Amino acid sequence: MTRVIAITGKGGTGKTAVAALLIRYLARGDKVVLAIDADPDTNLPETLGCDSEKTLGDVREFMLTDRDNLPPDINKESIFESRIFEVLVEMPHYDLLVMGRSEGASCYCYINNLLRSVMERLVRNYDTIIIDTAAGLEHFSRKTIRKVDDLIVVTDGSRRGLRTAERIHDLVDEVEIEIGNIYVVANKVTVDNKEKLIELAKELNLQLIGMVPLDEKIAELDLKGEPLVNLPEDSPAMVEVGKIAKKLEL
Amino acid sequence: MADEFPFEISPMFEGERVRKGDMYVELAGPKSRGFELVRAVEMDEIEDGKFTLIGPDLSEMEEGTRHPLAMIYRIAGELVEPDLEAIVERRNHDFQNYIQGIMHLNQRYDIWLRVSKGAIQKGLNSFESIARAAMMLFKNELPFIEKVEATYITDMDEIEKELVGAMEIYSARDERTRDLHDEDVDTFYGCSLCQSFAPTNVCVITPDRISLCGAINWFDGRAAAKVDPEGPQFAINKGKVIDEIGGEYYGVNDIANSLSSGEYDRIKLHSFFEYPHTSCGCFEVVGFYVPEVDGIGWVDRDFAGTAPNGLSFSTMAGQTGGGKQIVGFLGIGINYFRSPKFIQADGGWNRVVWMPKKLKDKVSGDIPKDIIDKIPTEEDASDLESLKKFLIEKKHPIVEKWAEEEEAEKEEEPVSHAPVPMGGQSPFQMPAFQMPVPAAGGSGVKLIFRNAKISIDRMIVKKRD
Repeated sequence: MTRVIAITGKGGTGKTAVAALLIRYLARGDKVVLAIDADPDTNLPETLGCDSEKTLGDVREFMLTDRDNLPPDINKESIFESRIFEVLVEMPHYDLLVMGRSEGASCYCYINNLLRSVMERLVRNYDTIIIDTAAGLEHFSRKTIRKVDDLIVVTDGSRRGLRTAERIHDLVDEVEIEIGNIYVVANKVTVDNKEKLIELAKELNLQLIGMVPLDEKIAELDLKGEPLVNLPEDSPAMVEVGKIAKKLEL
Repeated sequence: MADEFPFEISPMFEGERVRKGDMYVELAGPKSRGFELVRAVEMDEIEDGKFTLIGPDLSEMEEGTRHPLAMIYRIAGELVEPDLEAIVERRNHDFQNYIQGIMHLNQRYDIWLRVSKGAIQKGLNSFESIARAAMMLFKNELPFIEKVEATYITDMDEIEKELVGAMEIYSARDERTRDLHDEDVDTFYGCSLCQSFAPTNVCVITPDRISLCGAINWFDGRAAAKVDPEGPQFAINKGKVIDEIGGEYYGVNDIANSLSSGEYDRIKLHSFFEYPHTSCGCFEVVGFYVPEVDGIGWVDRDFAGTAPNGLSFSTMAGQTGGGKQIVGFLGIGINYFRSPKFIQADGGWNRVVWMPKKLKDKVSGDIPKDIIDKIPTEEDASDLESLKKFLIEKKHPIVEKWAEEEEAEKEEEPVSHAPVPMGGQSPFQMPAFQMPVPAAGGSGVKLIFRNAKISIDRMIVKKRD
């Protein structure tokens, strides 16, 4: 069975960094991982250090603009599937799919229906799926991904960050998708805010599964625009992400 | 059955992806060349089960390399005919994917295959095993195939040479496919994808009428309904024809009744004025009746301005959408302009009096030559006055009709200021505006307005003498 983990959170909390570190941790094992960048505002490919030229959004637009030029009786789902495989970035231990631009004004009912069926088949090929998704959970409301085992909300030390976690909790009921567990990971944690975070999470009834310490190295790599895969194995953030993965039994 | 093959064969391997890291060789695909082709031939032209390979075999290919590949099957049988080629060819995709360790994507000249390292380790070393498995499956699953012969090509020059002929065959096939019309089939397809926001919408997809969103043609409907008959696209038994020109069928009316929960029980597929198709909200283009010139204008989603009637796409779409049957407005998919039955009940292209330029350019190849220059765009007409002027100047066929109408009006008592269009229902009906004819002997008229926006310059109501 494929384990689907979605990572979300307010912008600036470092959810993409957490996602990238988790993908990096998993890619060392013998499991096959599919990383999905479902947040048009972030940069999971750069953070992971891989090139992605085209996105699923581009393929979707191609299917819309070129559909009348295709042979009339051609199987559109199979063209769509093949084009999606073309934009899939194949790294040594994981594949990366970038969802890219969001929908335009046209009707996407049919194309999203095809996408659901392609995704269903694709997902079965992987042991673990890690989705970096915007806080609005757009792709889930389209049901292109139908089931999520664990939703991890990344928050920073602020009260507002935790409030977002609470709001996402509510949103989950609205998008009507099956979500197994909801966890919170606190990021950029310092000695000063650690105790308060634990307390606040309890107060809001949120399940805090890990606290990633503020890591100067991450900020440094970020500033230089270098991928996080260059982070040393024994850096505190990497060690904590490893612990989270173990807690999730990944 | 699998003893003779160095791999397992089962539909359960469909959807199995061979990742780059697990791949032994890549065949054809976006970075190489290739194609697949099925040809129907006479029984005595082929030898059943024969396999020919032109170019290097799998065993001669190095791990991690990429090669071109063409797969050509010649089939024969008493019931085999050229029309079946495309359907049989499509099955190659399934059969190749039934083989464990082989990934087959796409079709025709876009095929893309990968053979996994695992398959090679289990003893796969020749294309012959793959071709034999495919030939066996062709004969087992499609029993009308009595003989089959396969030729695989992995030599680039040879593929380039053969591809020229293959391309001609594909395009001849497409020509035949495009020539399919409503009267040639017994089954239409329905789609319920839009019903979530347009609950009474009845989307009927026929060879001559693409879905309103423009995404689903008759073949897409057929493919989807075959895979999942209970899914969003489903078959409609078209039933007996009621009105050939208007495109009314018993089967369509039945489905309209059940899909709209009794709201609509008649739909004419190629009519604008009489029981028109419902409009969902996803449509690419909206048609609008212009009573002042008795013609129909069309405006598409991408056109940001206003049509000569002073309304924008979004305003008209708002009035039309929601799955209602509205006389005076009609949502369509762009490809419907290319249909030979395009609003044929109302005069087809001769009734078209306005289109945005971009839209007109897009479908210009399918507009009859004698009318194309007589249809104005926003560059020629931006309001009713300039529209009328343009139509008169260019001698648009609708102008002749005005004269006829005027003649008729002189004979009868003039009732309305604007020319009255042809068609059975009230000519310019706003959303859900119903004006039932009073029953014989009845006294009085019942008017029901729902969601109505009405602006009238002048209206004369006279007592009948």
